[in-house]
Amino acid sequence: MPDEAALRTAGLGWRWRALVAGRVALAAFGGYGVAALATAFLSLALPMARSEAVATATLLSFAIMVGAVIWVFSAHTLSRAALGLAVPSTLLAAGLWLALALVDTAPPA
Amino acid sequence: MTPSSVLLNLALSFAGLSALCLAMDRHHRAIFRVAPSRRQARALRGAGWCGIAASFAAAVILADWNFGPVQWLGSLTGAALLVVGLVSYRPRWIRPAALAALPLAAAAAFLA
Amino acid sequence: MKPGFRQSMAWLHTWAGLVTGWVMFCVFVTGTATYYRADISHWMRPELQAAAVEPGVAVERGAAYLKVHAPKAVAWFVSVPQAERPLLDVYWFDSFETPIRQATLDAGTGAPTTVRATQGGDFLYRFHYELQMMPGLGRWIVGASALVLLVALVSGIVTHRRIFSDFFTFRRDRSAQRGWLDAHNVTGVLALPFHLMITYTGIVTLAFTLMPWGITSAYRGDELRFFVEAGQSPAWRAAAGRPADALPLAPLMARAQAEVSEPLEMAIINNPGDAASTVVAVFEEPKGLAHRHPQVVFEATSGAVIARLGTLKPAAHVFTSFLGLHEAHFAGPALRGLFFLCGLLGSATIATGLVLWAVARAPKAGAVPGFALSLVRGLNLGTILGLPIGIAAFFLANRLLPVAMNERATWEGAVFFAAWGLAAMVGLARPYARTWREMGAAAALLFLSVPLVSDLTTDRGLDFAGFDAAMIAIGLTLAWGARKVSHYRGPARLRAATAPEALARA
Repeated sequence: MPDEAALRTAGLGWRWRALVAGRVALAAFGGYGVAALATAFLSLALPMARSEAVATATLLSFAIMVGAVIWVFSAHTLSRAALGLAVPSTLLAAGLWLALALVDTAPPA
Repeated sequence: MTPSSVLLNLALSFAGLSALCLAMDRHHRAIFRVAPSRRQARALRGAGWCGIAASFAAAVILADWNFGPVQWLGSLTGAALLVVGLVSYRPRWIRPAALAALPLAAAAAFLA
Repeated sequence: MKPGFRQSMAWLHTWAGLVTGWVMFCVFVTGTATYYRADISHWMRPELQAAAVEPGVAVERGAAYLKVHAPKAVAWFVSVPQAERPLLDVYWFDSFETPIRQATLDAGTGAPTTVRATQGGDFLYRFHYELQMMPGLGRWIVGASALVLLVALVSGIVTHRRIFSDFFTFRRDRSAQRGWLDAHNVTGVLALPFHLMITYTGIVTLAFTLMPWGITSAYRGDELRFFVEAGQSPAWRAAAGRPADALPLAPLMARAQAEVSEPLEMAIINNPGDAASTVVAVFEEPKGLAHRHPQVVFEATSGAVIARLGTLKPAAHVFTSFLGLHEAHFAGPALRGLFFLCGLLGSATIATGLVLWAVARAPKAGAVPGFALSLVRGLNLGTILGLPIGIAAFFLANRLLPVAMNERATWEGAVFFAAWGLAAMVGLARPYARTWREMGAAAALLFLSVPLVSDLTTDRGLDFAGFDAAMIAIGLTLAWGARKVSHYRGPARLRAATAPEALARA
């Protein structure tokens, strides 16, 4: 992120702070969002018993979130970081929508 | 998971980690004033990894695959803390302590 | 945030570690103490002598109390007295909307206990995972802080480039900052498997609070149904709405015990007095990592077995093994000691990291520290020494508050928070280096006085020698640590010396 580093050294403190705040917000909400979507999607899509899929997806979700946060803070620019979360989120949301339509989650009568 | 099996793990891990520590230039120099020769370092490293492997084997045999790895990691942490304490405060004690750990391990193995 | 992956991670490690450090230090310290929860509870009820009671008889006694005091409850729970907790605890729900209620009975008579009212080790345990706040809020704060800690751990591993060559290195003779950095690295690296395990499994214990979306999507939010399908909870049988006589409990418990080799832990009576009532015998965890309890479910009126719970599918087994690893109920005394040591190392890693943040930013000699630095220094003091002061005061309150006092258990907690709050305010108000020494000495004296006060106010002889030895060891460690910290001098010179390798100041 050379441009942001330059901002910092150039004394543009407020812009630097805004970018940091943006990353923190993106990591917290975006990271949680990706993890939540992945959990909801995998709970329906994993090819195993329903309770097993939920357990597996929930166990994995926290690793997914940590990976997303690491990505947000290591990406070169804020917009790249956001794009890196937006693409998987969109795919997961589409998959979840499809799975909710296809998988029967109703309790047995 | 008896106390004597944990003691065996601790003794083997301690001996192994001490050898690994002595194989490193910085610590060998602090204790013996000279760096270890390449052959000495290699021998110490080999002995060290053997000790750690023996500790793992003992843990798995005595505490089975369920708890063995947990006990092994725990004992490695405890033993490493001891090595760091000795190397920082009483570096000269490391070698006698590591050698003393071996009969201790044998005694613990007999009890376990 | 800076060019280069490692620099970004160093930045992330520094700031994630700082913001989560204070909460996580408290969680680690109280969690480490919780490895000895039963021993602490035991010590805090000195009047109590172990009395062997037949489990079936104990269950009957608990149910007899509940029949009088909670006849309309939807569920009763009777917890069988254990060697480390020789009391009969009963719990009940008046309805599904009301919070759980509890009474502690004498195991021998079934009447409310006359032992001093205290939360015992459960106080620190509850603080560990919900900070003694409203459960929802407290668990979210702990869970979110633990997630940040996990990020700090991963980024810390990336940042620390010489994990293996510095494995045994603690250079206490170079400079203050180098010493703190080495202490942070050594305590962090030596117990790294534990730190990763305990943080991840700790998050998993709060999994369905933090990440309920799998149950939302696959079960439409019906959490009970998930636990039933996962084989961890028996299905709920709705009340029939008409009364019926239930069979005596002791024979049912004996029949269940004949099928299971572990000792009985609890009896649950659902819809007591109803024609559709069920009785669940819950047993202790079998030897193994997984935290799961065998259960046998009976129909209360006929005594027919409705369900048996025991084996789990693979993912559920892994899930419960995570919980089991976190709680370490399986550990014998030696392994428990190692877990305790690892917990102390974790607390030390966090504490040294917090101090390192402040040491690396110390102003040059004579300069006035800025607001942020003063705040961090104050919070460091108030947390790292304030919490131990609170815990020692809590133990002293257990011995010094009148036994017959009203709301006694609540007052013990109030003393804990009052002492801690006072210490935290002193930390924020007073200058830095000297206060470490003074507060460290105060904390050491408080811990050292615990065995003395206990001996003067109780007559249990050497029954609590282990607890007393632990208090003395903690007191001496605090005294030694306070002395070490107060010897730290001359930040400006030292900072200049280590500037090129100021890893922690990324």
